[in-house]
Amino acid sequence: MAKRTDPSRFFYQPIIAVLSLTSLVLTVYVVWLSLRDLSLMRAGRDTFVGIDNYIRFFNDPRGLWALWRTVLFTVLATSIEVVLGLAIVLFLDRNFALKRLVRTLLLVPIIMTPVVVGLTWRFIFDPASGMANYLLSRLGFDAMDWLGSPQVALYSVLIADIWQWTPFVILLSMAALDSAPSDPLDAARVDGAREWQVTWYVLLPMLRRAIAIVALIRAIDSIKAFDLFYIMTRGGPALSTETLNFYGYVVAFTNFEISYSLTVALILTIFTNVALLAMYGVLFPKNGEPR
Amino acid sequence: MIKRFFFYVGLVVLLAAVLFPLYWVVVTSFKLPRDAFAIPPVWLFEPTLDNFRKVLANQTFVRAFTNSFVVSISSSAIAVAIGALAAYGITQQDAEKRRGQEKFILSLRIAPALVFVIPVYYFAVRLGALNQHWLLIAVYAFINVPFAISLLITFFDDIPRELRDAARVDGAREFAIFWRIYLPAARGGVVATLILCVLFTWNEFFVALTLSGRSTQTLPVSITSFLTFQGIQWGALTAAATLIMLPMLVLGILVQGQIVRGMTLGSVKG
Repeated sequence: MAKRTDPSRFFYQPIIAVLSLTSLVLTVYVVWLSLRDLSLMRAGRDTFVGIDNYIRFFNDPRGLWALWRTVLFTVLATSIEVVLGLAIVLFLDRNFALKRLVRTLLLVPIIMTPVVVGLTWRFIFDPASGMANYLLSRLGFDAMDWLGSPQVALYSVLIADIWQWTPFVILLSMAALDSAPSDPLDAARVDGAREWQVTWYVLLPMLRRAIAIVALIRAIDSIKAFDLFYIMTRGGPALSTETLNFYGYVVAFTNFEISYSLTVALILTIFTNVALLAMYGVLFPKNGEPR
Repeated sequence: MIKRFFFYVGLVVLLAAVLFPLYWVVVTSFKLPRDAFAIPPVWLFEPTLDNFRKVLANQTFVRAFTNSFVVSISSSAIAVAIGALAAYGITQQDAEKRRGQEKFILSLRIAPALVFVIPVYYFAVRLGALNQHWLLIAVYAFINVPFAISLLITFFDDIPRELRDAARVDGAREFAIFWRIYLPAARGGVVATLILCVLFTWNEFFVALTLSGRSTQTLPVSITSFLTFQGIQWGALTAAATLIMLPMLVLGILVQGQIVRGMTLGSVKG
């Protein structure tokens, strides 16, 4: 019997072709626009300016500060969420009644509409009648201006982000833990290892891959974080919570400088990819396959 | 015994921290203004439906509900239909070809939304499409397609390949195999993918903020109108927030097993 041609590729090739073509056209168009000085305030009178927009960015203190804040926020959010999440996973790693229910409840922050999360935390951080200051006063501390003080605001948004995304780290690592074999743990215990040694030398290395993936996801998402910033602070006070993504948004939709905003967006994209590759290199080293 | 006691204390603290913000918003939505801002907070109060009445009497908000509904359902349906075809095709290829396609699809999900929202916005302004539903539907379908493909691939992979081979020997056409065998076998996965797409679209804010007009505003954008310069109407706001997130909490709990699976696909599979 002659081998029939396999028509299954016609199921995906047109779709992938459209997706590739769209992203290619968009990329070329975006790069092209970033080399011009298009602004909606004076549409139709844009000219080619070469790499002026990129030079402008590296001389733009507001943009550079936004980039720095993005780095700070991403590093803090990712590391705190991963460490805290793992600690909670280890804490929950035993059989107890209602474990399934606890897992379901942990989903709540993840699926809660991010805008609502931002509003909720803004309510909690309200200087006069918010729960955060009430709690502080009960504990005998002075009230804080959570979202109104430039020194504090970024960390207040960070708290909301940690609240929303630590459960994601927990659920993903729990799933990995469930599918991990328990024999190595028992073997280590039989060999007389202490409980912390079992955790540190056997359990955590087994979860390495899952931890790496969850850290990557959290890093990518934190770089692009927008909703919480928009709702809780709008980049203020005094620009103290303006991240690069938010700055790009302001340039595009408040100042209508299309070309410059696309330059910011492209720098953000490049930055994301570099961070991603670097993290990927650290988390999945070439030699010595991760266990 | 003491260890157990501390474990349960820790568990209660954890759950309180996770659930308190949700509890606080929902409870505040049933409070009168004097109770909402009482310090110290009142835990027992006389519930009222005033806030909900106010929100539901607000034409803009009701319209936003319709918009969110129409936009998220239609864009998700389109994305799942396209995604199912592509996912089926990709799962039938050999490992090497698959890897290439899957990598490309994942790479589509890394770029920040800002990069494509700005040119789309610019086009839409020139076409006068900013106030039309199809713009949002098309953009969300485009965003959801890569996600739907990668999630559906994992479900189609669970179906034994022998089924397809047997059907081909019997002379079934490729589309019949897809339609009669694969789709019914992966029904649960298809529904879960659809629900997750709806959940993402319903909750999405950035695209909605930039690409919706006065008459296409979705809920997350609409709720920001309660943040006025005169101050924040917390009562109405919390009622609106409760109405926005409740349907998603219900949907989310329906597909709870798939959520972590779905979100992991947002990134690198190694």
